[in-house]
Amino acid sequence: MSLVHINILMAFIMSLTGLLMYRSHLMSALLCLEGMMLSLFVLATLTILNSHFTLANMMPIILLVFAACEAAIGLALLVMISNTYGTDYVQNLNLLQC
Amino acid sequence: MNLFTSSTLLTLFMLTTPIVASSTNFYKSNKYQHYVKNMTLLAFITSLIPTTMFVHTNQETLISSWHWITIHTLKLSLSFKMDYFSLMFMPVALFITWSIMEFSIWYMHSDPNINQFFKYLLIFLITMLILTTANNLFQLFIGWEGVGIMSFLLIGWWFGRSDANTAALQAILYNRIGDIGFLLSMAWFLSNTNTWDLQQIFMLNQSSPNIPLMGLTLAAAGKSAQFGLHPWLPSAMEGPTPVSALLHSSTMVVAGIFLLIRFYPLMENNKPIQTMVLSLGALTTLFTAICALTQNDIKKIIAFSTSSQLGLMMVTIGLNQPHLAFLHICTHAFFKAMLFLCSGSIIHSLNNEQDIRKMGGLYKILPFTTTALITGCLALTGMPFLTGFYSKDLIIEAATSSYTNAWALLLTLIATSLTAIYSTRIIFLTLLEQPRFPPLVSINETNPMLINPIKRLLIGSIFAGFILSNNMPPMTTPLMTMPLHLKLTALTMTILGFILAFEINSYSKTLKYPHPSNATNFSTLLGYFPTIMHRLPPYLVLTMSQKLATSLLDLTWMEVLLPKTTAHIQLKASLLTSNQKGLIKLYFLSFLITMTLTLVLFNYLE
Repeated sequence: MSLVHINILMAFIMSLTGLLMYRSHLMSALLCLEGMMLSLFVLATLTILNSHFTLANMMPIILLVFAACEAAIGLALLVMISNTYGTDYVQNLNLLQC
Repeated sequence: MNLFTSSTLLTLFMLTTPIVASSTNFYKSNKYQHYVKNMTLLAFITSLIPTTMFVHTNQETLISSWHWITIHTLKLSLSFKMDYFSLMFMPVALFITWSIMEFSIWYMHSDPNINQFFKYLLIFLITMLILTTANNLFQLFIGWEGVGIMSFLLIGWWFGRSDANTAALQAILYNRIGDIGFLLSMAWFLSNTNTWDLQQIFMLNQSSPNIPLMGLTLAAAGKSAQFGLHPWLPSAMEGPTPVSALLHSSTMVVAGIFLLIRFYPLMENNKPIQTMVLSLGALTTLFTAICALTQNDIKKIIAFSTSSQLGLMMVTIGLNQPHLAFLHICTHAFFKAMLFLCSGSIIHSLNNEQDIRKMGGLYKILPFTTTALITGCLALTGMPFLTGFYSKDLIIEAATSSYTNAWALLLTLIATSLTAIYSTRIIFLTLLEQPRFPPLVSINETNPMLINPIKRLLIGSIFAGFILSNNMPPMTTPLMTMPLHLKLTALTMTILGFILAFEINSYSKTLKYPHPSNATNFSTLLGYFPTIMHRLPPYLVLTMSQKLATSLLDLTWMEVLLPKTTAHIQLKASLLTSNQKGLIKLYFLSFLITMTLTLVLFNYLE
């Protein structure tokens, strides 16, 4: 693979690792989610523009829109958790245990 | 022929001049009242010209002026139909309004807003004339709504009194229910005959349709206080006496009957509608006559008497005799307005006392009012050769000798004798015997503003029947022969009523007043109709709508059914299908390890 590809894929894998392995704050997970989205966006834009695949020109923009919505929902959930528990520590999210 | 149209339009135009003058300074002076009264007098004289021409030549006129709007194929213009009904009604209405205006100069003398009162009376008169001369249903509806609004404003004239406000609102609500029927008919006529003009409606509807006629019957029931929509009429006595005399005895309440009379070409071929109208009228006339027997307020007794006579007019329409009903409208207006004016004179003299249990012995004190009251009551019951005889007796004769519903006929005959009974009660309790009021020094009837209107209406009550029936062109074949016992039916029932009432009144005046029996309670409380119908249906409807809107829609449909149920099921399902400890970080870590292992393995396996 070319260097560009490896570069962006590394960025994606970094964010993914950060999403799955974090210490205590939920906020860091959300930030890594945004990072994943950003790297995906750049990858998609570069590939599509490079191959002149005009039909798929709108795909990154739509991806951006949906990612924005998802970020908003994530922040809303964060605020709810913060309202209930005072902090956003992930240890608190254990209501579904039996 | 030229004079016909110009004098008609002049009459209508003349009446609008004082309304325009109300925006000037003249409105605030004391002469405005006399100006309005004189204008009505001049309008009366001018309206006699077309009427005389009609009587002479039997030619009708249709004045179609200003074209207002054309919507697709519907053309609406300002058109006046001067035919038998409107030409006969206009002079009668103007004469009565003139007398009532002169009376209210005396009656409302101490009222600070008396000029506004006259303006309202005049606007009412104009809208009533618009109603009677309308050639298309739209103009009729304008007049219809106009009289309803003016009725509201005039009933609630003393708006500081909560009973008056309630009564005005009641009048509007009951009239509105009737308006639903009117709008239904208008919509039906528009969509089926493409017009609102009376000529085209009569031409295109040879097979009389049921739906619009039922709508018109509902409208008439609302406006003319038939049974089921009747409580507003006795409550409307909260207004001043001139208002009761003009609106709720001679003019406005006959608008419903007038509407049915206007549509007689459609009704004469429709037997079911005629039967419905007949039954409704018979029920109304008997029920309201029963209610009138035990009322204690003199204006309410006269109001129920009006309602009973309106039921009688409905019965006449149900017998397929619209011209007789119209004759009864014209003659009834005279003596009913006079009865109200006499009661106004009595009330004013006794310092606003309206309870007949506190009147008595006015026979010697108010001789002129006594004369007028007794003559009015006799005319009301149909004393031979007074005014009421020429219309009421003809109606009873037509009823007894036609192939009609025997039950309706029986109810009408009983109501006739009840008329005599409550008339005797009024005369007995207000005029005869000893006085039951504290001695007052101001009892007088010397003011000519009081005497002249009553005098004119008195002459009208005696002679108008004769004059009207001899000058109206006959539109149907009159009934010439009938058996003697049928001819004397009305007279017999009336005399029976008189004798019964007089006997009961004279031997019970020295007895102790008993606890009211069940029948008396039924009659005094108006058959429990307002008590039940004004509380129960609104409560039921409002409770049902609250349950529907709040409980059903807000709580259940939008809150519980989908969102909360989903959350609840989700919780239960996840509890059922998994056992988690809530260790999120470990789960994420295992996800990462799994993915790494997969990538590594599949890389080496290719």
